[in-house]
Amino acid sequence: MLIAEDSILFLRNVPPFQFLNEEELKAVAGNMTMEFYPRDAVILRQDDPASDSLRIIKKGGVKVSVRTDSGEELTIDHRGEGDTFGLVSLMGQDRQKTTVVALEDTICYLLKRDQIKELIESNPSFTEYFLQTHFTTYVDKVYREMHSKSLFYGSSDHLLFTTPVGDIATKGVVTVREDTTIRDAALEMSKNRISCLIVMDRNELPVGIVTDRDLREKVVARGRNVDAPVEDIMTLPLIRVDVKDYCFDAVLKMIKHNIHHILVIKEGKLKGILSNHDLMLLQGSSPLSFAKDLESQESIDGLVPVSAKINRVVGLLLKDGARASNITKIIAELNDRLVRKVLEFADRKFGKPPVPYCWLSFGSEGRKEQTFKTDQDNALVYADPVGAAQEEAARKYFAAFALFVRDGLVKCGFPLCPADYMASNPKWCQPLSVWKRHFSGWINSPTPEAVLRSLIFFDFRPLHGDDSLGTELREYLMKIVKGQNVFLAQMAAATVKNRPPLGFFRTFIVEKGGEHKDELNLKFRGIGPLVDLVRLFSLEAGISETSTLERIEAMKGKHSTIDSVGDELAQAFEFITLLRIHHQVEQIEQGEAPDNFVNPSTMSNLEKRILKESFQIISKIQDGVIDLYGPGMVGG
Amino acid sequence: MSAVMELFKRRAAYEACPDPAMPIGQSRYVVMDTELTGLDVKKDSIVSIGAVAMEGGKIILGETFYEMVFPETALRSESIVIHGIMPSEVVGKPSIGAVLDDLLKFCEGAVIVGHFLSLDLAFLNKEMKRLLGKKFRYPVVDTLQVHKWMQDNSRGARSQYDAYEENKDLFSLAKKYQIQVSAAHNALMDAFITAQLFQRFLSFLPALGVRTVKDLLRIAKP
Repeated sequence: MLIAEDSILFLRNVPPFQFLNEEELKAVAGNMTMEFYPRDAVILRQDDPASDSLRIIKKGGVKVSVRTDSGEELTIDHRGEGDTFGLVSLMGQDRQKTTVVALEDTICYLLKRDQIKELIESNPSFTEYFLQTHFTTYVDKVYREMHSKSLFYGSSDHLLFTTPVGDIATKGVVTVREDTTIRDAALEMSKNRISCLIVMDRNELPVGIVTDRDLREKVVARGRNVDAPVEDIMTLPLIRVDVKDYCFDAVLKMIKHNIHHILVIKEGKLKGILSNHDLMLLQGSSPLSFAKDLESQESIDGLVPVSAKINRVVGLLLKDGARASNITKIIAELNDRLVRKVLEFADRKFGKPPVPYCWLSFGSEGRKEQTFKTDQDNALVYADPVGAAQEEAARKYFAAFALFVRDGLVKCGFPLCPADYMASNPKWCQPLSVWKRHFSGWINSPTPEAVLRSLIFFDFRPLHGDDSLGTELREYLMKIVKGQNVFLAQMAAATVKNRPPLGFFRTFIVEKGGEHKDELNLKFRGIGPLVDLVRLFSLEAGISETSTLERIEAMKGKHSTIDSVGDELAQAFEFITLLRIHHQVEQIEQGEAPDNFVNPSTMSNLEKRILKESFQIISKIQDGVIDLYGPGMVGG
Repeated sequence: MSAVMELFKRRAAYEACPDPAMPIGQSRYVVMDTELTGLDVKKDSIVSIGAVAMEGGKIILGETFYEMVFPETALRSESIVIHGIMPSEVVGKPSIGAVLDDLLKFCEGAVIVGHFLSLDLAFLNKEMKRLLGKKFRYPVVDTLQVHKWMQDNSRGARSQYDAYEENKDLFSLAKKYQIQVSAAHNALMDAFITAQLFQRFLSFLPALGVRTVKDLLRIAKP
């Protein structure tokens, strides 16, 4: 029994095992086995017979991924020390649902299905933390759904099963003492524009709740004296859920007790309140319901409130464990729909255009890599008019058209581009031949300004109208950029200017002072350089894709650097993007404006390690670019 | 009659060997360590025996063996420093003869694994001969030999865990393979560390062509 002591010590700090008493812990530890997996070892493989054990990571880290029917590999999660994996497949006893690979040398404790079952049956707090049968089967269903449809069309109510109560509960609850008068309590409610109050006793413990319904039914309808203490009308008992409980549990309790508000408790303390309204909002927050909502709008004013909710989707997708590139894809899809809707309104308002046109998105929107609403980056290309009259008509038509769209987008929450890279700028609202001249001009005389514009415009993507115009422009660009080594060298120079913030001894280089002291900029020093590298390679390789991951995929077999490090680069991109989204969602939840600065000391060891590796790979490839173009060429 | 049958069955069980053709990831192993009054097999004797069972690469944390015994020869101050077992602690402990049977039962059907196992075996065999009139017959694997063989036969292992001239005692190897070593230290803890070392070896060996128990026994003779 001696060597199990180590594992008992370890389990004591790992949920849900921490809920077990000493004796149960001892029994668990005595029944465990321990396995070692060298780095890169496949621990569990999707579609294999399900493993008969739950694995608890003692040391190291793993990546959990799932392969969809379309063959796409989705990374669901990274797990580190103290995390478990294999539960869902274990309980389903069916097939292994995910693939788990060791990211580094990893040691796991294994606990057999029977033991887990026994714990679940005998220990309520253990069960509460772990998943109940209905949840398990539900997750199974979600997986199946993910396989049959695209992630975008995932069902909306599964959010109930994957969103912890704490994520959507109203924080900062308003409380009153039990001897407060009904009048004062009602005043407090209307002052705060809330539908319920929590009543606290002398010991600051919640003892009851007063809701609008109580005021209606117990005060107004019965003509009760409003100077009576609020405790006379409060509802008892208080029904509570833990912050970690899934919303579904809250729904069950609300139905069971016929209530609309439920207390949210964290570590024994009142943390917030969840109302049935919050739950309705949650169900209305799925990407699908947003898309439907968008489609049904008939005016820009109708789009405004819908578009305001898009940020919310990001947070929920994150909670849902979606992969970074899927999150950005879904956001791009929603934003695309929003922009297209505005363009459709414009089409309707201005009537048939004199010549066909194509609306272009570029920058992060062009790459489908947006997280939160970013500045407008757009342009318009139209077919070359014939004759001066048509030329004039087209110019006038599209100028008014672009202005209308710009203002509509501003209303929907897309701020103006400070550098005026918008179709409303006459410079970026041009016939095809002029666009071609722009592009060839930048490539033939790569001034710093021309290179900067290339970096931005070359990620363009047709969004609406006659796509063939955008396609023709793309083909033209690919043709003329081929072999333009002077231009590519200038582009390379711009690409390697920002180095990842990694010091000589693999330490993070953080800001030394100012507002972001001890933080580092993930976009400027990480994602930016990576995106720039991949754009450079895709111009070298002559491929037409615009999103970073699609570019990497398309270049396989066509670009030697991508062939050797493409997968690592893609992983680095996913990881840094995910880190950035997590950070921004957290900021939004705290009511701050999202930025790109993170403090490495707040990350887990596994995150730090992967971030370092991600930076290293970027840095290594930048070195390769410098070698290739020569330090002189890239302005070293 | 039944007593004879019982004896016969036990004898047969003692000598039940793992199938040599079995893949190394499926065999049962018992990883063992002993603590001694000193290193001289003629003058010294066993103070404690620890062992932990493995099922392929899985260490079975609940399946362990640990006995302190009253040594046949006196505890010596040099070795007390090493194993930390005080003379007062062994007073009233069983003699080696009383635990040997349980140990052999624990080892049934397993390949015995230890670090620098020849030393432990020399002491065990001395007692076995004296008490049971026979030698320890289980197949044996020495992790020290496995380590040496891996260094000689793999570039991969060499580059991954650099191969400078080095100490090859259990704790140096544990450090090298990043195995956590706690301060407390007895025959069972050391067997556990050896098991973790062996666990890592098992994960590397198939790629080096060592696939069956037979292959393993060939490269790992103590």
